[in-house]
Amino acid sequence: MAVPTKGNTTNANPTPGASSKTQAHTHNTGSDSFIVAQFTMSNTRTYTGCTYGGQAMTQLYQINRSGLGQRMVFFYLANPPTGNNNVVVTFNGSQWNPISIHIRSFTNCGGIGASTRVGGQSTPNNGSLTVEEDSLIMITSCSINAITSQQIPTGTNQSYTQHNTNRQVATGAISSNAGHSAGSITLQATSTFGSISLDRTEIKGLGGSSLDDNSDFFLMM
Amino acid sequence: MITIISKIELEGSDDLKYTDIGHTQDVNIINQINEDYDSSLGKFIGENKTKLELGIVSISAFFANYPFVNEARTQVENSENLGLVEVTDINQL
Repeated sequence: MAVPTKGNTTNANPTPGASSKTQAHTHNTGSDSFIVAQFTMSNTRTYTGCTYGGQAMTQLYQINRSGLGQRMVFFYLANPPTGNNNVVVTFNGSQWNPISIHIRSFTNCGGIGASTRVGGQSTPNNGSLTVEEDSLIMITSCSINAITSQQIPTGTNQSYTQHNTNRQVATGAISSNAGHSAGSITLQATSTFGSISLDRTEIKGLGGSSLDDNSDFFLMM
Repeated sequence: MITIISKIELEGSDDLKYTDIGHTQDVNIINQINEDYDSSLGKFIGENKTKLELGIVSISAFFANYPFVNEARTQVENSENLGLVEVTDINQL
């Protein structure tokens, strides 16, 4: 097994002012490469698709956080084109509210694993995600109030970017480079007060046993 | 972290067009660009958001007075392959 290698990130918080938003992102070179894109914006519009370098990305989820007035979405694509290309996310009409954009590249990645979403709960929002050996976890949160931590696992603060979409959005938090052991990983998101959501997604490492893991082998004839 | 500077113009009659024109790590330049944005285009959109969504107001009304506005709210880890110049003086823009 091997932990996914983190690549480039792009974070942006513009107002699209159109029925799509184009965002440049440089994808890393390497085998088993993977790209994810997370967006949060006002729920006055829905997301209708997303491409990277002209290739359609797969939507993992799109969720309407009606209590927060926000819509959050997660797209991914395996083996995208390398180098500088555009992410183009489209809406069902012109979006005049700010959008939170987080794009992250990986190499040596086994794709998406478990994913769970929990809407606003009083801070702290505690959750968990059961993952495979050597996986990483990405989390994102939305709140009316300032977000104060993104913990993976609980007790370990991870860096994140805070965007203003007329709500507060924490995006970009991810596990430490070492990854996790297989099993249930506790997670926590906090805000200054009030409620906060907690969406989590497993980014899998490369599966399969390796011949260089000092295992003993014998051949039966 | 490197911040990308984007030029925002009118596209067609009702849409915004973003073009990346440079990058910087100078916090003073970033703050000045974003303060200018917030007091101009950001203010106009904030005051007319619902009317813009409903098509009652066109963003072209704003650009009748401003040819373009810059914004600096995109962060990347490296600027390689972007083909953008580094901005070290606000007067370069």
